[in-house]
Amino acid sequence: MHAIETEGLTRLFDDKPAVSDLTLAVPAGAFFGFLGPNGAGKSTTIKMLTGLLAPSAGRARVLGLDLGRDPLSVKRQIGVVPDGLGLFERLSGAEQLRIHGQLYGLARAEAARRTDELLAALDLVADAGKLVGEYSHGMKKKLALACALIHGPRLLFLDEPFEGIDAVAVSGIRRLLVDLVGRGALTIFLTSHVLEVVERLVTHVGIIRGGRLAAHGTLEEVRGTGTLEEVFIRTVGEETAPVGLSWLGEGSGA
Amino acid sequence: MSAFLALAELRLRLTVRRLLGKGGVQDLVARSVMIVFTVPVGLLFAWGAGRGAFLAVRMSSPRAIAWGTALFFFGVWTSWTSLALTMSDRESFDLRRVLVYPVPPWQAYLYELAAGLLADPFALFWLLLQAGAFVGAAVARPGSWVLLLAVVHVLFAAGTVCLVALLQELLARAVSRRRVRELGVAAVYIGVILLVVYVAAGGGRAVWSGLRALTTLRWLAAPAALAVEATQALYTGAVAGALPWIGGLAAAVPAIAWAAYRLALSGALAGAEGARASGGAGGGWPLPGRLGPMLEKELKYLLRHPLTAVLALVLPALAAAVGWKALPLLPPDEIYRALPLFGFALYTLLVTQAVWLNAFGWDRGGVRLWFLAPVAPADVLRAKNDASLALAFALFALTAVALFATGGLAQPWAICAALALHLGTGAWWTAAGNFVSILNPRPSAHSLQRGASLAPMTALAGMAIVSGGTTLFGLPVLLAMSFENPWLLVAIWTALAVAGVAVRRAIRPLTARLLERRREQLLAAVAGDDA
Repeated sequence: MHAIETEGLTRLFDDKPAVSDLTLAVPAGAFFGFLGPNGAGKSTTIKMLTGLLAPSAGRARVLGLDLGRDPLSVKRQIGVVPDGLGLFERLSGAEQLRIHGQLYGLARAEAARRTDELLAALDLVADAGKLVGEYSHGMKKKLALACALIHGPRLLFLDEPFEGIDAVAVSGIRRLLVDLVGRGALTIFLTSHVLEVVERLVTHVGIIRGGRLAAHGTLEEVRGTGTLEEVFIRTVGEETAPVGLSWLGEGSGA
Repeated sequence: MSAFLALAELRLRLTVRRLLGKGGVQDLVARSVMIVFTVPVGLLFAWGAGRGAFLAVRMSSPRAIAWGTALFFFGVWTSWTSLALTMSDRESFDLRRVLVYPVPPWQAYLYELAAGLLADPFALFWLLLQAGAFVGAAVARPGSWVLLLAVVHVLFAAGTVCLVALLQELLARAVSRRRVRELGVAAVYIGVILLVVYVAAGGGRAVWSGLRALTTLRWLAAPAALAVEATQALYTGAVAGALPWIGGLAAAVPAIAWAAYRLALSGALAGAEGARASGGAGGGWPLPGRLGPMLEKELKYLLRHPLTAVLALVLPALAAAVGWKALPLLPPDEIYRALPLFGFALYTLLVTQAVWLNAFGWDRGGVRLWFLAPVAPADVLRAKNDASLALAFALFALTAVALFATGGLAQPWAICAALALHLGTGAWWTAAGNFVSILNPRPSAHSLQRGASLAPMTALAGMAIVSGGTTLFGLPVLLAMSFENPWLLVAIWTALAVAGVAVRRAIRPLTARLLERRREQLLAAVAGDDA
């Protein structure tokens, strides 16, 4: 059983492919790391798989359902922490979480109960009444994660969950995710630049380059005898060292 | 200086890129259309202002000059200020964004004020009016005194721009504090109640003399008040008498600009305040179904917007004043006495157009949820429409109560007709407004300034929608008057209201499909990198 299956998934922007002919299978219960350099097509893929972006070609099945035919059924069973988070800045953290749960079909009382539990689990109780717009970036990330979890999804999409937050927050989120996958509670599809964190978390890996899938398999299969970072650099290509800039360190000159 | 020029270039390039980029062409077209309309209309009004100034200078009647100059400067000042506070488009300028650069913040602030003036078609209109008045006076009595008159007009324009900026900063500070907003609203309502009770108890004469004493408040509009005094002296030929007023104006303008700048700077340096919403987790509002939480979110957003507090503060006070002072001046005919109530029925919808013409703008990043969550787009639109109409209805109810409290209860037919007019136009306007919200979304700040206004194309579309709706509901008035039967008006407006609700319901699936199709453009505009 696969949580995600795509076949020839393609997305063009101004006739240029952002994602091209992506054929991917993510097993149910996997912790899937989707890696790639900036602009490789990671966020576009997540947007297509979560219904934010229509594919130009190809098809996707999520949790056994055809995303193009039955997007609402898919949405009911997935949780998403999108790029940019997607929070309402003028709701309090607690309101955001409860209303989010209700929109995913939870009864008000149940949504409120889960809100309290999630706020406690993510150490946000003290800031529950604060407007989301006043949250720090790390707190917003945690709240977005709580929103993605409140309805008990079977599949979780996380777009750069560790970007821009401190090591303590990373550690807290990482522990929670490992626990969830360890219990077999859900499948996680994650994109990240932080390869060391990804390597310690994931069971399966896909590497995308220029919109095309360059490597795909279990962590052991993709990594072989090296590290994930070595494989990643070998796959996407190393950046050339900067030349010139000899004037740096010679003072402002202004 | 080079850093300042670089900043100016940066702002110019960003503006040009935005106007020529994706979605910016509509703004450019709308802005051009506004300017194309503004110039001939402004020239027409400038001719009138010039003619008035010409006659005032030629007649040399102190009374005519006093009335004419006061009417001109206070009229321009009031219109300029109120329009700038509600409709100005300052390109989302935020002083915090330039603090990082090695440019003196006051230079950046002054630059933004000047750039805002140049980019505002309405400012062009006010400047044309002033040019007309100046030319009229100069032609009436040529001489070196017109140089001083030119100085007065320039200082008045500069002072008004600075005072608008100061008012924006003060309003933003006042209404950003929830407690201040609530106290302000409560104070106005208690004041109106006490006033009504006092007048009913026979204290009307004392209130009137008290209000006359309030004329000293005109000095709060210092640019207009000082310009009036200086111009009166210049028109009557008392050049020496004008000099102290011109000196006062020359001192007031930088003082107002400095105050506005200091407030903006202290706000920028202080960063965002730690606002808190009332109620932490709690159970939320007991609204049923999947629509319930959406409606709760929309209503909470609207109630937390400073615009709501300002409207709740201003509209009932305005209605009370109309009921008290204007209603007695109207002819005793029923239809005339119902006009203020009809006016407020429409006006309370009109002032909330920023809500129903840009329904997704305030969601910013949150707008993604409408496409991620398993909710129907039609329900999203319904929640947004219901919330904006509930706000407008609450405002209408408050203004009607204030109007009745001071002007007496309206006829039953007038109340029924006003309700049908309010609910009917609301249904038609929101039905059309949904298309504008979807087709031309714009990220909107949760404030009264800095990008909280509508996009020019949206404002133009709004004018067309409001004109169309008003014409639709205006035509039956002629019919009712020819039959001399006001209940006929009630019947037709009710029928139009029912039709409006039915039409909105019928086209909602179409609007929902459009929302689904325009999902990517909407997300890019409201929650994308450019937002």
